[in-house]
Amino acid sequence: MKAVINYKNIYYPPGGILMWIIIYLELITFGLALLAMVYYSLEEPEVFHNSRLLLNPTYGLINTILLLTSGFFMAATLNEFKEGNNTKKVKKYLLLTILFGILFLVLKSIEYNDKLEAGLTIGYNTFFSFYWMLTLFHVIHVIVGLVIIATVYFGVKKERDTTKIEDVEASAAFWHMCDLIWLLLFPVIYLIF
Amino acid sequence: MNVSTIVTGVILFVLTIMSALFFLGMQSMYTVHIILALAVLKFGGVAFQFMELKKAHAFWKILILSFLFIFTVLVISML
Repeated sequence: MKAVINYKNIYYPPGGILMWIIIYLELITFGLALLAMVYYSLEEPEVFHNSRLLLNPTYGLINTILLLTSGFFMAATLNEFKEGNNTKKVKKYLLLTILFGILFLVLKSIEYNDKLEAGLTIGYNTFFSFYWMLTLFHVIHVIVGLVIIATVYFGVKKERDTTKIEDVEASAAFWHMCDLIWLLLFPVIYLIF
Repeated sequence: MNVSTIVTGVILFVLTIMSALFFLGMQSMYTVHIILALAVLKFGGVAFQFMELKKAHAFWKILILSFLFIFTVLVISML
């Protein structure tokens, strides 16, 4: 059975109005923090440039690819769910979404470990204060997103599946929000200073 | 799987590789602008295709485009 929701209604954006309010608030929060980071870089341009050189942009690039791949499989999950296709594909895509999300966290942990071993902690300088606060806050969102997707997966896996299209849409919207935030963080933190 | 999802996925992947290549190969005064422009395109791809914002009411589209525009302009103007 195909699900039909009138998304053109202002109160029903895909994912639900409450989720979109959260998404905008999150984007504004991260956006303002990134703008503050750029502002402070004007006061200490050399510190920011030299600190940026201490980051490994390859980690950032691979993490971008991992998150986008994960988001791709989440979008595929939603397509299959909306088409009312068998749950086999839905479950497979959800597992791939979770797998790439976990890979993102693994690589981030390796990066954090490198930084801690090099003594580049949150108090090292202004750049690293922003680096730790912004990326850790994003990682928390990724962990919450993974918990939400895992909940959807176990819901779909049940013999008497009661998962609604709205549930999958809302979790997909939250997961893609993590992509959006990372797409802002990656160029500003890893590349532009 | 939906064709538009596959196309969007491929475009996002290509844009990510492009931003890496621009970063590594070209260190001109416009590198920052190009990197940010590519990030804006990727942001739009995720929001409009993956999050299906293209199907939503114009209000939501304008809101996200306004955020993106203001953020990008402020970052570029400060650098």
